[in-house]
Amino acid sequence: MSLGTDLGQALRALFGAEGLLTGGATEAYRIGRNRPEAALRPADEAALSRVLAIAWAGGLAVVPWGGGSHQSIGNPPERYDLALDLTRLDRLVAHDPGDLTATAQAGIRLADLARRLAEHGQFLPLDVPLPERATLGGALATRLSGPLRCRYGTARDLVLGLRVAHADGTISKAGARVVKNATGYDVTKLYLGSHGTLGIILEATFRLYPRPEVERGWWLRAPDLATVQALANRVLGSHLVPSRVELMEGGAAQACGLGGNGLLVCVSGLPEAVAGQRADLERMAGACGLRLAEIPDGPPVWKAVSDFPWGGAGMAHAGLEALWRGGVLPADCAKAVQAIQAALPQRVQAAVAATVSHGALRGAFRAETAGALVQGLNAAREALVGLGGYLVVQRLPDAARNGLDVWGRPPDGLGVMRRLKAAFDPKGILNPGRFVGGL
Amino acid sequence: MSGNGLAPETRARLIQACVRIVGPDGVVSCPEEVRVYDCDALTFFRGLPPDVVVLPTSTQQVAELSRLCYELGIPFLPRGAGTGLSGGATPAAGGLMVALTRMTRILELDLVNRMATVEAGCVNLALTRAVERHGLFYAPDPASQAACTIGGNVAENAGGPHCLKYGVTTNHVLGATVVLPGGEVLRLGGKVSEAPGYDLLGVFTGAEGTLGICTEVTVRLTPQPEAVKTILAVFRSVEEASSAVSGVIARGIIPVAMELLDRETVKAVEAHARAGYPLDAGAVLLIELDGPRAEVETEAVEVEAVCRAQGCLEVRVARTEEERALLWKGRKEAAGAFGRIAHHYYLQDAVVPRTKLPQVLREIEEVGARYGIKIANVAHAGDGNLHPMICVDPDVPGCEARALEAGSEIMRRCIEAGGTVTGEHGVGLEKREYLRMMYAPADLSIMQRVRGVFDPAGLCNPGKIFPHPGEAGAVAAG
Repeated sequence: MSLGTDLGQALRALFGAEGLLTGGATEAYRIGRNRPEAALRPADEAALSRVLAIAWAGGLAVVPWGGGSHQSIGNPPERYDLALDLTRLDRLVAHDPGDLTATAQAGIRLADLARRLAEHGQFLPLDVPLPERATLGGALATRLSGPLRCRYGTARDLVLGLRVAHADGTISKAGARVVKNATGYDVTKLYLGSHGTLGIILEATFRLYPRPEVERGWWLRAPDLATVQALANRVLGSHLVPSRVELMEGGAAQACGLGGNGLLVCVSGLPEAVAGQRADLERMAGACGLRLAEIPDGPPVWKAVSDFPWGGAGMAHAGLEALWRGGVLPADCAKAVQAIQAALPQRVQAAVAATVSHGALRGAFRAETAGALVQGLNAAREALVGLGGYLVVQRLPDAARNGLDVWGRPPDGLGVMRRLKAAFDPKGILNPGRFVGGL
Repeated sequence: MSGNGLAPETRARLIQACVRIVGPDGVVSCPEEVRVYDCDALTFFRGLPPDVVVLPTSTQQVAELSRLCYELGIPFLPRGAGTGLSGGATPAAGGLMVALTRMTRILELDLVNRMATVEAGCVNLALTRAVERHGLFYAPDPASQAACTIGGNVAENAGGPHCLKYGVTTNHVLGATVVLPGGEVLRLGGKVSEAPGYDLLGVFTGAEGTLGICTEVTVRLTPQPEAVKTILAVFRSVEEASSAVSGVIARGIIPVAMELLDRETVKAVEAHARAGYPLDAGAVLLIELDGPRAEVETEAVEVEAVCRAQGCLEVRVARTEEERALLWKGRKEAAGAFGRIAHHYYLQDAVVPRTKLPQVLREIEEVGARYGIKIANVAHAGDGNLHPMICVDPDVPGCEARALEAGSEIMRRCIEAGGTVTGEHGVGLEKREYLRMMYAPADLSIMQRVRGVFDPAGLCNPGKIFPHPGEAGAVAAG
């Protein structure tokens, strides 16, 4: 449905002529070939709720918008009437350092949130790519994660409670503000990673951690990926408590300023404890015939690794690019990368890294033509599916869209998911069609 | 008498069908025998005994039973070991009880990926026993871990003292085979993490068996720490002890457990278990650190300093495994010890922000005094998870009613302090009415929508979690 006169008037009445972006002014909210009829940046929850009520009444399709840094993920929306920009809802609502919890609005940029929490020596260990642009709400809706999940888990483990706006504009809360809660269904889990198709996350309460006194990291370059995997298995099965264990093939390593195939291992905590773990790591590496090279200037490297492949580092190339994530068993990361390398057409260049603890792969492919890119993605998907895994395409040029389903095979339980979608959003106005199986 | 008004012919059909599905040795239907299943470990609330108890041995059988119940319109519910503390496995409406205690196998140990797949009836501790020689363990450790089943842990999203550092069940469950009400079998999640789709596993975990029956579970196993250090710190008062808890957290240290026992509990425990807690203590803290040796050593020194700064009278560090086991014995047997000082007690479960512990514990003391009821406190203090034990003497007229009222008031205080009405026991039958204190109608209606999607006929463990206006619900019995 297009934005008719009545609805346009209702929205203008709420936001004024300047507050309601239309026409060319909505360019910033483009998703692929689709541009919304209008875009709005509500100043508070109440305004946002009214927008949804209007959209609900008129059957307008709404795309929630955070930093826009990862809007390429998913199918293009089936319908796209309104972009609902949450970046004015950017307050840190509460921070209770003694409780190691905080509550923030969805539109806060992750880097801003990190700065505020750091004032009290704490942090939210959710190292999603591009934190200067990405918002908290977007990170939770997409359930992106980064290398730190090795030690701290993902949004699933960190989020304690949510406030959510529903399709008809009502607002509900799920979960609580305490670190342990078994009261009723854990509905928070449904919103996380649902790409805004069940409700729009307005506010989140999450667990925090004390910032470690020191963090040190080592690059263990190896002759082949099998050796990298063998060392990773040994480290992850041991008493060591690494914060990052990243398997990186040459392309990914190079994009992050490291050389060759290897394993990045970081350890954080009290200096004495870190030194102790370093000694153990050295022994384990020695048993695999590898040597530790300490990374002298850590933080920029950690950032490049968590931004990979979204950071655009080392992108000196012409042609087209696709970004993806995938999953396999933790011990199959090297096998997965090798299978991808073997399956890729020669015309496709690849860079792949894996958070070994969770078998979480992420990569970039480059090629001169859309056809080659699609061929490469399909071959890589087949390779991962062959290992019991999956591949999700997160960004690709419009020219390559027709050749594949970015989500891949729908999961078990799609029928239940469809019924949930229908129960939460019976008119199908929230991000219609963007998620797996057209949810 | 058994059953809840199932017509005799329906009951006969049910029994016959159950026998066909699982064989005669897996069906319990005689009234004396089904009575055993009329409650879980929350004996305060007794339900209506199930009409029939059935003990399947496979997912396929559970699916057939679920389909059968949907066809006949009979309520049903799953049961593990029946150690739950909120009435989750207590039948509220009779019907068919599906007991998973014959499905105890460990189906797969995948050591290199640190995962195990077990049948739902596998006992929590049995899994850790099976993997400890490989340097691994299953982290969630509810107090009943020697008896409780992993399927039950999934239903209740069970916690335990060590979840301060390691997290609760939901943080360790990677996948589950579940039978939806009506008989559809789904594989949720799996060994490969985060395949796209709604997190059905996440909402299923902790749904108290109202969204279906879990028959197999894949869990993450955790490498054993290099070193463990257990410290007993003795305080003059609960306030000092709980301030020390906040002090430790504020120092950036996250122990694996921080358990608080108040004066009443210490007295009961010493009379029963003789763990060596000083009898004149106002409160003790049991603090356990684990991790790489160097880290544990350094943190132990810091923890001791924080405790001393809060006026701690004495700090004892277990030097041997025996000493450590003895310190824990006191904590683990706290509930049992209470049997000695009270005929009955009503074990509560609430969570408050940990910085509010001193205030809330003071308020609980006042509530006890006002109602003339002895209330002892054990708390997973690091999480802010309180377990007030409200003593009940059934021989004193009105005592039970006062205990329930006191419990209700404690809940209200916890919510006012920013907390929640259950941290790990679940809502079950016990706390349905408290839900309204915490969630607005809009919040509850979202949960109801989820319920409707999974169980449109409302036959799967009915009468749990949601407040039911006008419904008589469970009968409180002494």
